[in-house]
Amino acid sequence: MGAMFRSEEMALCQLFIHPDKAAYTSVPSLDVCEAVDLNPDVNAFQRKFVNEVRRCDEMERKLRYIEAEVHKDGVHVPSVKEPPRAPNPREIIDLEAHLEKTENEILELSHNAVNLKQNYLELTELKHVLEKTEAFFVAQEEFGMDSLTKSLISDEQGQQAASRGRLGFVAGVVQRERVPAFERMLWRISRGNVFLRRAELDKPLEDPTTGNEIYKTVFVAFFQGEQLKSRIKKVCTGFHASLYPCPPSNTERQDMVKGVRTRLEDLNMVLNQTRDHRQRVLISVAKELPSWSIMVRKMKAIYHTLNLFNMDVTKKCLIGECWVPTADLPNVQKALVDGSNACGSSIPSFLNCIETDEEPPTFNRTNRFTRGFQNLIDAYGVASYRECNPALYTIITFPFLFAVMFGDLGHGLIMALFGAWMVIKEVSLAAKKSNNEIWNIFFAGRYIILLMGCFSMYTGLVYNDIFSKSMNIFGSSWYVPYDNKTLESSPAFTLDPNDSYIDVPYFIGIDPIWQTADNKIIFLNSYKMKLSIIFGVVHMIFGVCMSVVNYNFFKRRYSIILEFLPQVVFLCLLFLYMVFMMFYKWVAYSTFSTDLAYQQGCAPSVLILFINMMLFSSNEPEAGCKEFMFEGQGQIQRVFVLVALCCIPVMLLGKPLYLLSASKKKKKDVKPEQSNGSVNQGIEMQEQTDIGDGEPKPEAKPSGSGGGHGHDEEPFSEVMIHQAIHTIEYVLSTISHTASYLRLWALSLAHAELSEVLWNMVLTFGLKDSNYIGAIKLYVAFCFWALFTLAILVMMEGLSAFLHTLRLHWVEFMSKFYQGLGYIFQPFCFKTILEQEEKEE
Amino acid sequence: MKGCIFNIDAGYLEGLCRGFKCGILKQSDYLNLVQCETLEDLKLHLQGTDYGTFLANEPSPLSVSTIDDKLREKLVIEFQHLRNHSVEPLSTFLDFITYSYMIDNIILLITGTLHQRPISELIPKCHPLGSFEQMEAIHVAATPAELYNAVLVDTPLAPFFVDCISEQDLDEMNIEIIRNTLYKAYLEAFYDFCKQIGGTTADVMCEILAFEADRRAIIITINSFGTELSKDDRAKLYPRCGKLNPDGLAALARADDYEQVKAVAEYYAEYSALFEGAGNNVGDKTLEDKFFEHEVSLNVHAFLQQFHFGVFYSYLKLKEQECRNIVWISECVAQKHRTKIDNYIPIF
Repeated sequence: MGAMFRSEEMALCQLFIHPDKAAYTSVPSLDVCEAVDLNPDVNAFQRKFVNEVRRCDEMERKLRYIEAEVHKDGVHVPSVKEPPRAPNPREIIDLEAHLEKTENEILELSHNAVNLKQNYLELTELKHVLEKTEAFFVAQEEFGMDSLTKSLISDEQGQQAASRGRLGFVAGVVQRERVPAFERMLWRISRGNVFLRRAELDKPLEDPTTGNEIYKTVFVAFFQGEQLKSRIKKVCTGFHASLYPCPPSNTERQDMVKGVRTRLEDLNMVLNQTRDHRQRVLISVAKELPSWSIMVRKMKAIYHTLNLFNMDVTKKCLIGECWVPTADLPNVQKALVDGSNACGSSIPSFLNCIETDEEPPTFNRTNRFTRGFQNLIDAYGVASYRECNPALYTIITFPFLFAVMFGDLGHGLIMALFGAWMVIKEVSLAAKKSNNEIWNIFFAGRYIILLMGCFSMYTGLVYNDIFSKSMNIFGSSWYVPYDNKTLESSPAFTLDPNDSYIDVPYFIGIDPIWQTADNKIIFLNSYKMKLSIIFGVVHMIFGVCMSVVNYNFFKRRYSIILEFLPQVVFLCLLFLYMVFMMFYKWVAYSTFSTDLAYQQGCAPSVLILFINMMLFSSNEPEAGCKEFMFEGQGQIQRVFVLVALCCIPVMLLGKPLYLLSASKKKKKDVKPEQSNGSVNQGIEMQEQTDIGDGEPKPEAKPSGSGGGHGHDEEPFSEVMIHQAIHTIEYVLSTISHTASYLRLWALSLAHAELSEVLWNMVLTFGLKDSNYIGAIKLYVAFCFWALFTLAILVMMEGLSAFLHTLRLHWVEFMSKFYQGLGYIFQPFCFKTILEQEEKEE
Repeated sequence: MKGCIFNIDAGYLEGLCRGFKCGILKQSDYLNLVQCETLEDLKLHLQGTDYGTFLANEPSPLSVSTIDDKLREKLVIEFQHLRNHSVEPLSTFLDFITYSYMIDNIILLITGTLHQRPISELIPKCHPLGSFEQMEAIHVAATPAELYNAVLVDTPLAPFFVDCISEQDLDEMNIEIIRNTLYKAYLEAFYDFCKQIGGTTADVMCEILAFEADRRAIIITINSFGTELSKDDRAKLYPRCGKLNPDGLAALARADDYEQVKAVAEYYAEYSALFEGAGNNVGDKTLEDKFFEHEVSLNVHAFLQQFHFGVFYSYLKLKEQECRNIVWISECVAQKHRTKIDNYIPIF
């Protein structure tokens, strides 16, 4: 848990790697480091390992091609259980060769297949042409026969008819959607002298290259004359119509059809064989495909990281800089040594910590439980380096404040069950990797949902609220002192605590008797309002106290006295005092009290008392009561307010004046600039000493005090303005933020009322009848009630309560101490890289 | 008032178009591109821009023509997406834009067939935006009249072609005349169409089209020197919707050499500036480049106004210019001819 308290300590390390093989193998061992780009002004294509990146690109292209082919044939790609390691340089060459071979094989296969299919297509078209044109020719021959018989009658006529009968023709196939334009064109070029017959093919043909279905139409164009023929042929090529030879005589045609059919059968066999072969090849490839693509991606990621590194002047070694969590330093060093040993490099890789005044990234080690809460905080702003991390406290306060608003045992149970289901099924659900954004949000927050559900069940128990009804488990502390006769006389009675209360409160939460009371809402309002103020003030005081931790850590102890102290005094004297009054009122005033001034009816309003305290005014108390709750309260209040007001100038002027005097003192005893000569001690390797000096990084600026907060350099006026803003903001916010916590009451009220309305308006409708019709009514009513309960009360109200809780944390709590100016640590990690790429796809 | 209802039909497309426009390469991108050593570098750099992975599936080594094809393919896909989602009158407007490509394609095919090239070799060279159904059967026509009757009568170009039917054969000279007559008719029709749409569209588009018309007139005049084109015929080819119309065109029709053309342009502020800067010496920009630059600036200005169709036209033209630039740079890179690599025309 210590890791959650603040972000981890980071060190900027310099990495010296031998530029050949070792460089490549050592990168994967940097999986807890974030590499810093040392050449930000160098173009992508001018970097050192650009050729290797290109090789990876080329391999990826091949992989994409293979994958597309595999998908085209619908071959199942098995998922990898154990993602492979990044290949070492020798394996890369193997992999490259392998990919090359596979690609060529598949290319050749598909090329052959396309050729075969082209052949097949042509033959099928020819077959169709021959079959479909049959009808046209039969019609024509009948006409020819007709003319023959005519020629017997008259020679002259016969010759004319013969020449007319000897029409030329072309037959072919054209795409169906181009037919109208084709026909029109033919008509135009021949001035109507072409006779076109066509028949549509019922079955779609397969386009050999793309595999798409195409619909075609068989046509026969009859014409006269050679010139026209050449022009028609031109049109045909223009419209991509394929022409087929079609013998004019019937017998020849039938022979040809037979021939074509046998050829088609042969071809079909060959096609099937190629298809089987292709299938076999693809299946074997599909097995390897996922691991290959992971390997290539990993390689690419490695080279991208290497591109961030810098070449040493002597070209003997590669220098990289990276942020490493100090805790992981030994691991990284060990991994580096192992890495360079593994590839048999003679020169080991080194890792050296260097000092820097750069702000390190913020790294909070999280597990799957804390990640959700950390994300809530990071969404507001990533914590400054080593700042106190509010996520730790959020784990409890977040579900709790949510539950105060969402208090209902039933709704909480539904939410808790949903959360528990996600938590239990975690592994299998995570493996599914849904793309549904909403689901992913829910799933990422499963532990938050579970906790929110559990806490809501608890608050539901305290509110004694389950689907807007109450449970009488321990027996109400109230009893009805009236007999039946009196009860029948009037619909409503007042229960006087003096003679209907047993003076022992209900064991836990609200007494169920209130469920039946007319003034339930008034009672609950007063209770919940006070509750929310109490929680709010405690929450805020806790937030203010957190700032001490930060001041202490960043060595700004003066701020504890000059900032924290007045702040906390201000808050306590005014608002904690108000909370105290609430408790005092609860404890001191009772109907059983012997003192008349502490009897019921005499209890003063806390709010009025508080307002009077601030305004130094007073109200006349009712007869027999006292204005104040205890002796000397008036004096104490006056002192409190005066002290609190005195805190404001301290907040406003304390820090600026202190800084002013401190800087003056500094100027007086002028010290020589501290030389950071110790930096080079870290770098003791003989060959690297020159490199250490060559690097401009370490001694760019003399680093300031630990946190590097630059207040020292700011001019006084600016410090003053900042402080004024802070003070005004703080003083105003104590009031507005306290009021803001009233949303706890408001939402809780709204939730309870809404669920009561839903019960009364919907479910009661089905509960009224006691006969069979009532059962049906109840069935329907329950459907609606359950639906609305889930959709409105659990989902919508849950969401709104969640957002309000988020606001209470971000604004009311975190503004008291949190800066959130850091940037997140993004270690080099194969897993995130692979996941990211998958998402992009 | 028109602006209020513009978005109902064309708001989405205009937004889309402006989004596309933001992907046009900036000056800094060009500075990076000209530093490239090989086409692979160029590819790597283009990957970082809006072009993304458009070359990722091309096996290396890359050639300039694949880059050109891919650039054009991307542009065509974008344009056709816009066209497919458009409704009247934007759809007609977008169709009008494609007509100029149709004219170019027709001329290309006719010239090709005149030189006995097989049609299958010519088709891939045609611009995909200007393809039409009857295009590939164009070589059946031997005379302009046939061309009209058989091929063009069904295309939207038919009304533009009416003036050319009288020409006798398809020889080189006549093809040029046909091209320019077609263009003239097309530009005038487009100009009228934009006028008819009115509003901001008319303001923006008429400006651009007027420049286009004047540019054609000037270029025709300059190119006609030393050819057998008579002055009367030349005058017939001038599109009459530009700022030169009518006095400037009349003067151009009388011009005999480059100096006289320049003298005509002197009377028009924007054109005289273009002639001033142009020269044929090394280091000077050619008149053509000057015209391109002016066109780019006009098109860039079109984006300054909203609720008009001009953005679509301008986007296409700017993107075309960008394709020309990239192809120019890649040519220079491929041929290691770095001295002229800076002769591209920056857009932003």
